[in-house]
Amino acid sequence: MSMFAVATVAVLVSMYMALIRAIRGPTVFDRILAINAFGTLTVILIAVHGFLAGRPEFLDLSLVYALINFIGTIAVTKFVKYRGMSDPDDEGLRGDL
Amino acid sequence: MEMVLFVLSWVSIIAGGVFCIIGAFGMLKMPDVFTRLHAASLIDTLGIGLIFLGLAFQAGFTLVLAKLAMVLVFVFFTSPTGTHALCRAILSDGMQPETIDGSRAVLVDEPETSPDEADEAEEV
Amino acid sequence: MEDVIIISLLLFMAIAAISIARMHNLFAVVMMTGLFSLLGAAAYVVMDAVDVAFTEAAVGAGVSTVLMLGTLALTTSEEKPASPKHARSAFVLVVITGAILVYGTLDMPSYGDPNAPMHHHVANRYLEASEKEIGLPNVVTSVLASYRGYDTLGETFVIFTAACGVLAILGRSRRPRRRDEAETDNKPEVDA
Repeated sequence: MSMFAVATVAVLVSMYMALIRAIRGPTVFDRILAINAFGTLTVILIAVHGFLAGRPEFLDLSLVYALINFIGTIAVTKFVKYRGMSDPDDEGLRGDL
Repeated sequence: MEMVLFVLSWVSIIAGGVFCIIGAFGMLKMPDVFTRLHAASLIDTLGIGLIFLGLAFQAGFTLVLAKLAMVLVFVFFTSPTGTHALCRAILSDGMQPETIDGSRAVLVDEPETSPDEADEAEEV
Repeated sequence: MEDVIIISLLLFMAIAAISIARMHNLFAVVMMTGLFSLLGAAAYVVMDAVDVAFTEAAVGAGVSTVLMLGTLALTTSEEKPASPKHARSAFVLVVITGAILVYGTLDMPSYGDPNAPMHHHVANRYLEASEKEIGLPNVVTSVLASYRGYDTLGETFVIFTAACGVLAILGRSRRPRRRDEAETDNKPEVDA
């Protein structure tokens, strides 16, 4: 039973580091990347917590979240690409919206 | 048999957790967005793969194993696609990786050029 | 172990909320809002409310983020600077209101207490009579669809109106092209 606790602690530490990257990341792509990794870590956390609580039926939610994470990342990438990114006036903000 | 499964699942879960932490730490410490992308892909492949392998050893031959396999198959297909799409978006925005010799990465969209010219351009 | 998970998730939500309030780049704010919803969904799972977690993950982290991005494509992406004149009095007012609310929650029954008044009056009747009167195996469904059907009707109205409003605002815009293309397209054709 305690192996799930170890996995949960590892995933929470990784989530913390991904959160720091999402807040700090200078360009928008760092944030997209961090949120994608955060989504995968949430999938792991929900699955491990399902086993920890003795109810592995939580895996349905993991599957739903894996789907939504993918769709969200592709949607965000599409919006970023078609937005018309760097303004000709301010070259300093290249890569940041 | 129980003991073997127990040891195997412990080893897999601990290894998966270690890889998750390594991937997240790499994402925090790497200097460039391309290298961070490379470090974060550790979580999507080894992290989730090993942890779910450990959970599968605990689950036995039930419906739960089928669900774990489904999530793994889905992540196996979508995680490289998402990383590739993100990298193409970064390159089409104009950011370039920091290289030692100054070589640049070129985004290859459609092979409109002749095959000789397409061979000269570096494929991403 | 569950306490550790819930405290960590709530701490991350607090960090995300503070960073949402402090960042000026609206695109980053939208992404952090998606992350906040994601943390909320994980917290709901740890509290055993999986159906709420489904909804929160799908709506908050998926649909809401995409809609906000669609809105951002129509407006600017930097926050307009707020005037700092009333900042201090606003902060004091918010802290006082928050303190009053927290003081109000000290009187509530603790989480999951079986002696709470919520678990005694109507809930028992729903739980006992649902199988005979409605016949569905899921009590949540029978409460939502039959015992509290008018609430569900009102919510359906609200969500339908919200969807119509969002489509009316966001559906009129085409995908914004690059600025030079837009300028050359808008130049009027001059007849020779």
